[in-house]
Amino acid sequence: MFGGLRSLFRKKRGEKELDEELRGFLDMAAEEKMKQGTSREEALRSVRLERGSLEISREVVRSSSWESIVETSWQDLRFAARTLRKSPGFASIAILTLALGIGANTAIFSVVQGVLLAPLPYHEPDRLVVVLLNNLRLKSPTYLSYRDFMDWERAALPFEKMSAFAWRSFDLSSPGNPEHLEGSEISSSFFSTFGVGLALGREFSTEEDRNGGAPVTIISNGLWRDRFGGNASALGKSIVLNGVETTVVGVLQPGFRFGTDYADVYIPIGQRKLADANDRLAHDVECVARLKPGVSLSQANAQMNAIQENIDRLNSESEQGLGIKILPAKEPLVGDVRGTLLLLLGAVGVVLLIACANVANLLLARSAPRTHEFSIRAALGAGRGRIVRQLITESVLLSVLGGVLGLAAAEWGLKAALATLAADLPRGDNIHLNASVLFFAMGLSLGVGILFGLAPALRSSKDLQPTLKEGGRGSTGRHHRTQSALVVVQIALTLVLLAGAGLLFRTIQHLWKADLGFESQHVLTFQVGLSPSAIKTGADVRYAYQRLLDRIRQIPGVQGAEITTEVPMTHQMNAIPFWVDSHRPASVAEAPRTLGFITGPDFIQVMNIPLIRGRFISQQDTVNSPLVAVIDTELARTYFPGKDPIGRTITFPQVGDYRIIGVVGHVQHWQVGYSSPFTQNQSFVSIYQIQDRWMTSIDTWTWVVLRTPLEASIVLPEIRKAVHAAGSDQTIYHTQTMPEIVSESMAPQRFPLIVVGSFATLALLLASIGIYALISYSVTQRVHEIGIRMALGAEKRDVFRMVAGQGLTLTFAGLAIGVTAALILTRLLLSFASLLYGVGASDPATLASVSAVLIAVAVVACYLPVRRAMRVDPIVALRYE
Amino acid sequence: MPSMPEKPGDLVQGTLDMLILKTLALQPMHGYGVAVRLEQMSQGVFRLNAGSLFVAFQRLQRAGLIKSEWKATENSRRAKYYALTDQGRKRLNSEKREWGKQVAAIARILEAS
Repeated sequence: MFGGLRSLFRKKRGEKELDEELRGFLDMAAEEKMKQGTSREEALRSVRLERGSLEISREVVRSSSWESIVETSWQDLRFAARTLRKSPGFASIAILTLALGIGANTAIFSVVQGVLLAPLPYHEPDRLVVVLLNNLRLKSPTYLSYRDFMDWERAALPFEKMSAFAWRSFDLSSPGNPEHLEGSEISSSFFSTFGVGLALGREFSTEEDRNGGAPVTIISNGLWRDRFGGNASALGKSIVLNGVETTVVGVLQPGFRFGTDYADVYIPIGQRKLADANDRLAHDVECVARLKPGVSLSQANAQMNAIQENIDRLNSESEQGLGIKILPAKEPLVGDVRGTLLLLLGAVGVVLLIACANVANLLLARSAPRTHEFSIRAALGAGRGRIVRQLITESVLLSVLGGVLGLAAAEWGLKAALATLAADLPRGDNIHLNASVLFFAMGLSLGVGILFGLAPALRSSKDLQPTLKEGGRGSTGRHHRTQSALVVVQIALTLVLLAGAGLLFRTIQHLWKADLGFESQHVLTFQVGLSPSAIKTGADVRYAYQRLLDRIRQIPGVQGAEITTEVPMTHQMNAIPFWVDSHRPASVAEAPRTLGFITGPDFIQVMNIPLIRGRFISQQDTVNSPLVAVIDTELARTYFPGKDPIGRTITFPQVGDYRIIGVVGHVQHWQVGYSSPFTQNQSFVSIYQIQDRWMTSIDTWTWVVLRTPLEASIVLPEIRKAVHAAGSDQTIYHTQTMPEIVSESMAPQRFPLIVVGSFATLALLLASIGIYALISYSVTQRVHEIGIRMALGAEKRDVFRMVAGQGLTLTFAGLAIGVTAALILTRLLLSFASLLYGVGASDPATLASVSAVLIAVAVVACYLPVRRAMRVDPIVALRYE
Repeated sequence: MPSMPEKPGDLVQGTLDMLILKTLALQPMHGYGVAVRLEQMSQGVFRLNAGSLFVAFQRLQRAGLIKSEWKATENSRRAKYYALTDQGRKRLNSEKREWGKQVAAIARILEAS
């Protein structure tokens, strides 16, 4: 070892010594012969034959020691670089192909890394969990009630820390301009549960986190800089939230958030109105907790289930029989996209395989003419291992260069893609080319270099002797079979990707054509933060809405406007329990759910929802008249099969008994094609019949929908004016057109479609290069044969049939394998994420059309080489022999 | 001509190392001396080419079984002389024992009817 090192540094001396020793050896052998009377020349010749020449012996001795591996690797590398420089066309195509493959993989990996793998940015994030209630009968998880949380706090918990929070939005009216802000009600230990410190100030005290506590708030770093210029004197100053002077006690670190949304304002959850805080049926609180060290998820689950059972036993008014579900904190955040990202990772892996097959094919094609070179090196004493190493060095050099270029491409492509697609992904802002991505790209490059280099290297280094004898004609037949197999694999893989992209494309087509149950064109939606001074009582709110709507309806071009708590396809979920007539279940947990639209009389006109039976709610339905409800066809079909629901009673616990007065068409509330675990039943009640208790806080979950043929940009300034005229401190926010909302609801399909579609295009390009290169190469190899055939009377037609037939045979073999693989793989890939809608995973029309595309591309790729083959002049071709 | 194995280099690696050690056990020798001595002792069965011989020398030297020194030969030529180290002597003894056992065992197998 040290001898090796020493001799590496003192290589010159060691080499000289070895030379001297060897020369001495050979001279002594020759002298011996000369003593027996042979001439000097004859003696030297026979010694060379018997003992080996100086050069070969030196090569043999040197290549046997480990230090020579380092040295020869360096030699190999320089030689490889020289070889590549000598064929710049080959090198640039190979490097470019690899750059595309490695770049695409690196980009997708950095998305997977940033979204799925990277830990959440909190202290010991592995111990952080979210705790949910789980309605086992309806199979849907739900949040807890604040009452549950307070009971949990008194129990012996498997958690080191636990805290509650509930999303809530606020209207900030001072300092600065009125603005609508997203925020959260939190319990006192919220930030310490995450293990995140504040930039300034402190968390809420337990005294503040209870009913009657002083109004205090913690604000985001952004809001602090925006409203207080980033000045530390902000602590102790007040801001006006929903009309209440609230003291700032803390400022967050920049960038903190939990979940997908940023919150700017936090207030103590304990300050809720007592009626809300004690309502065990109001499931609006999320719970995040930090497991005690060493406690497993399942242990925590068991312990919490026992606690919840105890609560149920002691409190008859609770929603009985809900189980506990504890998830790692990352799960709710990324659970939805995991399948999609794995699908993309699979797809991009296929692209890499195609790229590798392409480069392997190029290498094989190149190695045939190089067989001569290898034979000579073998004859000069290089072993097979040495030649394989040389070839692997070449391919690794190619792949590393490709990797470097690919990294640059990934960086650039990722930036471009994220600019448009980041919003479709949770943690989209966490995607970077970081150290682990670099590591991945490096490992991938090396692995790929060995993968595509090994087969050609082993092939070319076999049976070197015969080639030398033949004078340079390589064993092309075998090469050819390997190359054909690689092209077939490429075509098959490309078909799989095309099929995947085709299925997603058809899905999007179906989604666009799907009947939504309402007309999204010309509908505009937004929210309004009502002026806090004008909504002290329920009657105030009803009046405020009527006044607001009157002003909006007077705007020229507005054909109708209404308020509603539910806008289709925005993921709002006001799922409320109900029962029909006297079928009251033993526990509320067992009651079916319906999506409750709390709206005004004009809702179905604005949304263009068909009225099927009876009437919709009207101006005459008020707090002073009997409660009435309208149900959709889905609820009518399920709970009144074959009967007339009109006049029957539907009961919403805590809200009241409603008489059914009409049936309307079903609306697609969840995204189309998404098999929602949530209810499909829908019912509509009048906002003007809602009890005062809920009316004063209803504005944060109420939307205005309006119908106008005008462009949003034209009508919005008028709407803004109308909102401000109804109250100068009123805010307008979340402005979106209904077509935008519908389009956004397709993001889960659109995102993979765009990515898989671009991969499929890339694959098609690579595969067509592959076919072209192979046919073109084989024509070059067979010019002689073609010449003989033509000289023997073959027609151009026959040549055409022979060459084009070869290309098409490969294509159809690839198609046959590809279709089979696609039938299996697309089903497998798409089972990661249920993305398809209106089209089966083995849709024959899709498979047929992508096959046609592939055949067309193959024909184009074959065209040039086939034309060249047909123009072969037999005389010219034969003269070269 | 004495009969020669088709490829003298085909000697089992361990065997060549053992034979070299045995040759050097008598006295320090240079490379050619070792080759000639081996040929004589084997009555021409083993004819070594320079490459495999010097690979073996390097291997043995790296393992610390032999050491080398430049000296003048009887023909006043400069040559590197190889000699056994203590470790090399021990190794030779243990290999001889092992070889004896193996040969006896192989002979028993081959002669068993």
